[in-house]
Amino acid sequence: MGYKYPRRLNIFITVAILIFALLISRMAYLQIIHGQDFLRQADNNRISLVPILAPRGLFFDRNGEVLVSNRPGFSISLVPISGPIPDEVIVRLADILGMKPEEIREKIKRRDNPLEPIRIKSDVGPEIVTKIEERQMELPGVMVEVQAVRNYLNKELGAHMFGYVGEISEDELAAKKAAGYKTGAIVGKSGLEKVYDKELRGVDGGEQIEVDVNGHPQQLLGKKQAVPGNDLVLTIDAKIQKTAEQAMDNQLRYLQMKLGNPEAKAGAVVVMNPQTGEILAMVSRPGFDPNLFNGGISAKDWKAINDNPNNPMQNRAINAAYPPGSSFKIVTGAAALETGKITPEEKIYDPGQHWLVPKSNAHGAALGWIDFRVALAKSDNVFFYELGNRLGIDLLEEWARNFGLGAQTGINLPGEDEGLVASRAYKKKVYDEDWYLSETMDAAIGQGFQLLTPIQMCSLVSQIANGGHRYRPYLVSKIVTPAGQTVQSFGPEEVGTVPLSDKTLTAIREGLRDVVSPSGTAGYIFTEFPLTIAGKTSTAENPHGDDHGWFVAYGPYDNPTIAIAIIIEQGGYGSDAAAPIARKIFETAFNLKPGFSPADELAKEIAAQKAAVNNNNKTP
Amino acid sequence: MLNRRMLKNLDYTLIFAVMSLLLISLVIISSATHVTTATEEPYRFLERQAGFTVVNTLLVIFLLTVDYNALAKYAGVFYWLSVISLLAVRFVGQTALGAQRWIQIGPVTLQPSEFAKIIIIITLAKMLENRKLETVRDLVPVALHVGLPFILILLQPDLGTSLVFIAITLGMVYMAGIRTGLLAGIFASGLALLPIFWHFMHDYQKKRLLVFIDPNVDPLGSGYHIIQSKIAIGSGMLFGKGLFAGTQSQLNFLPENHTDFIFAVIGEELGFIGAAIILLLYFIVIYRGIKIAGEARDNFGTLLATGVTSMLLFHVLVNVGMTAGIMPVTGIPLPFMSYGVSALTKSMVGVAILLNVYMRRQKIMF
Repeated sequence: MGYKYPRRLNIFITVAILIFALLISRMAYLQIIHGQDFLRQADNNRISLVPILAPRGLFFDRNGEVLVSNRPGFSISLVPISGPIPDEVIVRLADILGMKPEEIREKIKRRDNPLEPIRIKSDVGPEIVTKIEERQMELPGVMVEVQAVRNYLNKELGAHMFGYVGEISEDELAAKKAAGYKTGAIVGKSGLEKVYDKELRGVDGGEQIEVDVNGHPQQLLGKKQAVPGNDLVLTIDAKIQKTAEQAMDNQLRYLQMKLGNPEAKAGAVVVMNPQTGEILAMVSRPGFDPNLFNGGISAKDWKAINDNPNNPMQNRAINAAYPPGSSFKIVTGAAALETGKITPEEKIYDPGQHWLVPKSNAHGAALGWIDFRVALAKSDNVFFYELGNRLGIDLLEEWARNFGLGAQTGINLPGEDEGLVASRAYKKKVYDEDWYLSETMDAAIGQGFQLLTPIQMCSLVSQIANGGHRYRPYLVSKIVTPAGQTVQSFGPEEVGTVPLSDKTLTAIREGLRDVVSPSGTAGYIFTEFPLTIAGKTSTAENPHGDDHGWFVAYGPYDNPTIAIAIIIEQGGYGSDAAAPIARKIFETAFNLKPGFSPADELAKEIAAQKAAVNNNNKTP
Repeated sequence: MLNRRMLKNLDYTLIFAVMSLLLISLVIISSATHVTTATEEPYRFLERQAGFTVVNTLLVIFLLTVDYNALAKYAGVFYWLSVISLLAVRFVGQTALGAQRWIQIGPVTLQPSEFAKIIIIITLAKMLENRKLETVRDLVPVALHVGLPFILILLQPDLGTSLVFIAITLGMVYMAGIRTGLLAGIFASGLALLPIFWHFMHDYQKKRLLVFIDPNVDPLGSGYHIIQSKIAIGSGMLFGKGLFAGTQSQLNFLPENHTDFIFAVIGEELGFIGAAIILLLYFIVIYRGIKIAGEARDNFGTLLATGVTSMLLFHVLVNVGMTAGIMPVTGIPLPFMSYGVSALTKSMVGVAILLNVYMRRQKIMF
């Protein structure tokens, strides 16, 4: 007895063999030929890399006070573990974050590592975190991370120097990709944050998290600790910086409200150690709060900044060039004395108007026979027209350049302006015209083509203070590791010298000292001032509005450790507008008893009024 | 009744292969489920499946004591019982994954369609035992007999299981000696009917077939199973990631990993070598099944063995093919391996039938 169709039995077996051959070869195809690819995909499936941003290095002032630090903040990310994030999740998340869904989609499109969460918004408030956690079930793939967020402890203070940070832009990324910068990196966008980004940023760490299909973390596979960035020890003196900022704010308000300069809304202060180039304080107004840029500035805040006609983002201390006005007489005087066009003793007759070109003094003054020192102290124009006439534009240009004008001072901040030195070449190039004597005379008193930045002005007065040494201004004295080891230190760097004889120096210095003595242009600001200082006011004509008020100064007179340059745009007279700020700075720097300050009084008055209004509101 | 010669005639190769598969199944199920159920009892699935295996082994032993010819006596009754149970599913069954396939009886959920497969094998074997299959007319009773449960299962809807009926029927009529021309005619008309078939298919079924052609059509929906399963298998590479170490399976990327997609866990954790060994064990089962069909004492035994073997072969092909991305996703479990009492019972009863036919292959001689 046997089966009737043995052939069919064989065919049945053959079919079975073929089926198993098919299955085995399919396994071999998947597991052996393409095994590597699938293994990679499997790893992608389960591991999510959550970057831990390294805390950026801190900023210290010269006395160890922390000015910029970090604080923990929440950021919201998407983890597309198992495929694209569903559209309704994007829409829901956009709604919670107050963003447009397109913005989120754009960020998703831009990511470069499929394993890494896509940071959608950094530094969100606790109310958003609560909302997201409450609705977690509706928001698969949405993750809340804790990351270090930049903290500018004194808000606006030093904002223009410090700069701000933000997410790396596409252009920046393209330029810096080779240096290891990645999408979503937080980088310095301006100021020291930008210049020292590489030192400050440290090394980002990360967590390898095993996740399931819903993106829920299962276990921590590995953690690479972030290495905090190095700290910057600044040359800034926080005490002076704070004084300068407050004095500037009070002064602007005082000018607007009491002195009839309603457009006095912008200005700058530079305070430097003339013996080294260390910047002790730097202020620019209007200012901004760099904290606003953490996690992307809100549209409202950005509009407020953008709509301000005075561009709060501009660092006027280094980026804005103004006609220097009478302070330029220092350059003209030094040139004339050094080239022998005049001696300190020689007197020139000021009839109120120059005899070659009908250019006169302000307010029709005529001082008669005066020497250099008096001319400088009283800021006589006719005298300096004559010095310009004797020097000629070429010598004047040469001497301006001797002082480093018309070129960057080399401060370690981005965006420094070169200013402008009046010259034949410039006029030829820009206007294609010949030079006129009257233009030499304008140039001699710091008008016409001459343009200086506040930091150049500070450098100029420093060179008088220290006897002709030009130091590169600098803001960072040391880069130190978080453990306190010095990585790099910076000291004075002499970048040029001006050949000034003692005789010339004495003549100029004495003239400047007289400026702040009772008979000088700024005398009334410094009545009974306990410190001997030197200074110079300028009231620079401004074709676009009210005059700009300048004041430059240094002190103590005999052994100067502080040089100051201050400008108030459209502040009117330099003595009224700028000199009171210098006084406040000297008072702070040398621990002097503060004298009467009408600007401070006004500030106190307003504060008291506000408090009163608040109290009234509280007790109806 | 058993006697010494019958025990000597037991197919120990088949028993070895099946026992191996059952043991591997318990290991893989515990690996596939210990994470998913970590919050509950971690070995609930393992314990239950082990229990099912023991009960089923006893059932197999019991079935061996009965001559398979006795099965035929009650086949008619079982047939109608299974038709009624399939109808019952329609009205009192539980809906899961879009289809009504289960009935709850006490602590276990049963899938009547699984048992219907065995019953169809027995009743069809009886029907074909002495039947000549020369003309279309000869096929009509066969078509009606298989058609009734087939339609009921198709309506559940359970395309995969209904296709198993077709595979069983084709295997059995072929081995019953159907005229080659007639068989060709069946294939031809089957192909002709495909468009109509397509028309009556549910959208999710159509989608599964479309997704099978290109899983990336719907990577988070229907295509998800296929993609993740292929990743699991492929990433196992030659040696596998080791038991309990398959990230795809352990981290829930692989759904249904203890039931329909258990072979993906095997591929991932045991690698190509493990998968090949297990496929070899299946091949042994199938090979022995065909041999048993060839050595049966009578036509009924041949057809029974053919039916069981066709069923198992189709299951292995479709299930493994599905996890490996060369077959559409249908809810067809892997015999002896997938978690679930109904599927296990069906396979074990099938094995009992094979053993029974083999041990009684010799004519009784006193």
